[in-house]
Amino acid sequence: MKIRGVFIEDTFAEAFTMRVARIVITARSYRWVRAAALKLTGFATSVIGCKVEAGIERELPAKETPDGRPGVSILIMTMGKDDLAKRLIERVGQTVLTCPTTACYDGLPDAPDRVGVGSALRFFGDGFQMSKVIAGQRFWRIPVMEGEFLVQEKFGMLKGVGGGNFLILARNADAALEAAEAAADSMAVLPGVILPFPGGVVRSGSKVGSRRIKSMIASTNDAFCPTLRAVTVTALPEGVNSVLEIVVNGVDANSIASAMKTGIDAACRGGVVAISAGNYGGKLGPHHFYLRKIMGGAAE
Amino acid sequence: MSSGIVAKLKEPLRQRADFSQVLAGSWATLSARELSDRPLSLERDGDARLGDLFELDGQPEGRIRLVGELDHADRLGAGLIEGEVTVDGNVGREAGLAQAGGRLDIGGDAGPRAGAAPLGFKRGMTGGELIVRGSAGPEAGAAMRRGLLVILGAASDRTGLGMIAGTVVLFGPVGTDVGLWSKRGSVVALGRITPPPTYSYACTFQPVHLRLLLTRLRDTYRLPVRPRHLNGFYHRYSGDMAELGKGEILAWTAK
Repeated sequence: MKIRGVFIEDTFAEAFTMRVARIVITARSYRWVRAAALKLTGFATSVIGCKVEAGIERELPAKETPDGRPGVSILIMTMGKDDLAKRLIERVGQTVLTCPTTACYDGLPDAPDRVGVGSALRFFGDGFQMSKVIAGQRFWRIPVMEGEFLVQEKFGMLKGVGGGNFLILARNADAALEAAEAAADSMAVLPGVILPFPGGVVRSGSKVGSRRIKSMIASTNDAFCPTLRAVTVTALPEGVNSVLEIVVNGVDANSIASAMKTGIDAACRGGVVAISAGNYGGKLGPHHFYLRKIMGGAAE
Repeated sequence: MSSGIVAKLKEPLRQRADFSQVLAGSWATLSARELSDRPLSLERDGDARLGDLFELDGQPEGRIRLVGELDHADRLGAGLIEGEVTVDGNVGREAGLAQAGGRLDIGGDAGPRAGAAPLGFKRGMTGGELIVRGSAGPEAGAAMRRGLLVILGAASDRTGLGMIAGTVVLFGPVGTDVGLWSKRGSVVALGRITPPPTYSYACTFQPVHLRLLLTRLRDTYRLPVRPRHLNGFYHRYSGDMAELGKGEILAWTAK
């Protein structure tokens, strides 16, 4: 299968079930919305080293937020249920509570699984905090030097999907980067997904484990490293000199598949030789995204 | 589309009637016929049934609308725990007495002690939402523990007396001693208010939670919340300092 001359490999991306929460942050202006959002989603690329994967889902106009102010929705994901509660408390407490004019709301009100966030952060109020129940939901008003920080008591939690991916195999680094930027831009506006890596792009795709150090859980994906073509079992076709990966997490498999389709289509452009995907033989992750099926073609 | 049960008063009430048993406890799934059997008490004639005074029609959908002059209907919605109750006009004393849930929406005036605690009891409203679109008599929301009381017209003296917690929103003019002896309650005044002397001014700020609360009141009950209420500043008074001092009066200010 080819799209505009770019070969779509007959392979699949292997993804994992994760726990996801959607956080809505509002503030007086987008300046402070973004300030909080960037801090909250900082150092949250991979659970391998960050314990959490997070990203901005989209900016919200004032008419779409609970308090009628500018906002942003963020997806934050972990491997385990308990871990999600801990990470939410840490991150909201350190990056949103501290940021001028912000408030923080649950973006998954219909999710039956709930984790306490405001219920833990309220203790920062040192007994001066107040709670208010509005439309059946409890909120905590935590006094701060600026005024008050408003945070919802509990946040919804769903089973999401993490680790959707595809690899852009290009003739050179410029072509790879241009295609990756186009893919990331086209995917960033889609609902229900985040691209947790810098700019939505990964240059250091990993394989499970290490050839030399047993304690390492991940190491460089040598099969896709152009500089190692001569010294390892390469997966790179002739003429490929640079590879970039797009990793996408989402609230469900359909959102991931839809985003991958959009991204792959955008990445199929001049200088790109092939599109591939990362997997572990299908043994680790329950979600398999077949590239050709996603792109509307038949697997060979 | 049905709008729940409609109860029309057959003829004007010429004596006071105690409605405290009519909507107390579970009622939302009862048919018109079953609701007709709910007891009430007439001041002179003694025990009666709701169906003796009202014609009931419609399907149970968790909603009931009461139509007629109900100025003599006391304790309407007392002990309410569920459903939506709409009253077209005025009601008598102690409407929503010790309400614990559901919505009671009174289109006209309410007599004294709406949403308050029954005499001899410590707690008034413990949940739900009580909307009075007209004026409310003295001691509305007295000893309320949770829930929301909204008064669009004039709120009489000692509204929110001895509140334990919960929220009172006042759109119109208010009497004296509003929030007196409150422990943790919140009184939000969108009109002029003079806090009791046992309240202390804290600051002037923009409480974000009021944007949620007032937006909900505007959207759910179509109450006249203006942009100035959402975007404006509020004086915060802490009190009652003669009690815990963890309550507040949030008074909207044009400045």
